[in-house]
Amino acid sequence: MTASQIIFYLISAFILSMGVLSVTSRKIFRSAIWLLFSLIGIAALYFWMDVQFIAAVQIVVYVGGIVVLIIFSIFLTQQSGKEMPKAPLLRTIAGALAVLFGFAFTFLLIDQYGFPAIDQPFDNDVARIGNAMLNTEQGGYALPFEVVSILLLAAMVGCIVIALKTKPEEK
Amino acid sequence: MGAASLIVLILAAIAFSAGAILIAKVVTKATKNKQKAEPYESGIPTRGPSWVQFNVGYYLFALLFLIFDVELIFLYPWAVAAKKVGLLALVEIIIFFFILFMGFLYAHKKGALKWK
Repeated sequence: MTASQIIFYLISAFILSMGVLSVTSRKIFRSAIWLLFSLIGIAALYFWMDVQFIAAVQIVVYVGGIVVLIIFSIFLTQQSGKEMPKAPLLRTIAGALAVLFGFAFTFLLIDQYGFPAIDQPFDNDVARIGNAMLNTEQGGYALPFEVVSILLLAAMVGCIVIALKTKPEEK
Repeated sequence: MGAASLIVLILAAIAFSAGAILIAKVVTKATKNKQKAEPYESGIPTRGPSWVQFNVGYYLFALLFLIFDVELIFLYPWAVAAKKVGLLALVEIIIFFFILFMGFLYAHKKGALKWK
């Protein structure tokens, strides 16, 4: 086993153990913090794969944005500090079965793909992403880039409409 | 070589921090009293629980932040490629920003950015 492989297994073990802790923790706030560590681990995995831009996106959006959102939504509830009751046995078994089937399904699908080695070096330069994004010619991504802004606009309008719905009762 | 030195770095980091904690545990004389367990030692005694319900405003701001966060992601590749692409890049990013600015105006108009 090479040193690079050891790093991979270390990061994977970190991600998986943090994920298990996140699911099994009885306190919902702690779950969110374990999730945070798990997402940081995934960013580490991206760095290990040498895709720095994706790793930066992972940290900025998932660690810096979504986890903050989750923590705020936990604090919106009244039970943020309370210990959750233990799940009934039947639900634990059902959950384990669902996980098992999900794992089997994904594993079989991924296993079908042979993962052939490619000859050309992997180019993941940010400049290349930018050039493709701004390219208006055939095969460019200029239109999807602009459509993304409309998607973000729709998301923004949607979240304002939903979040401000319960306004009349206060005041 | 890079990966091996990374492993050494991780081990050294764990050893140093664990060593510092262990040495502090061994060398210092630990005293325990009620005062020490307070959140603000030699401060005003705290009242009530610290797990309070947050204002919904935080959530709304976090939601809007997340959207501009995603917008920010697109700025990085744009900034790297902008000089080479030239004027076209400027036009494209202005269209991109204009559409998102409409969303910002909408949020402002609806009072989502007002602190209640």
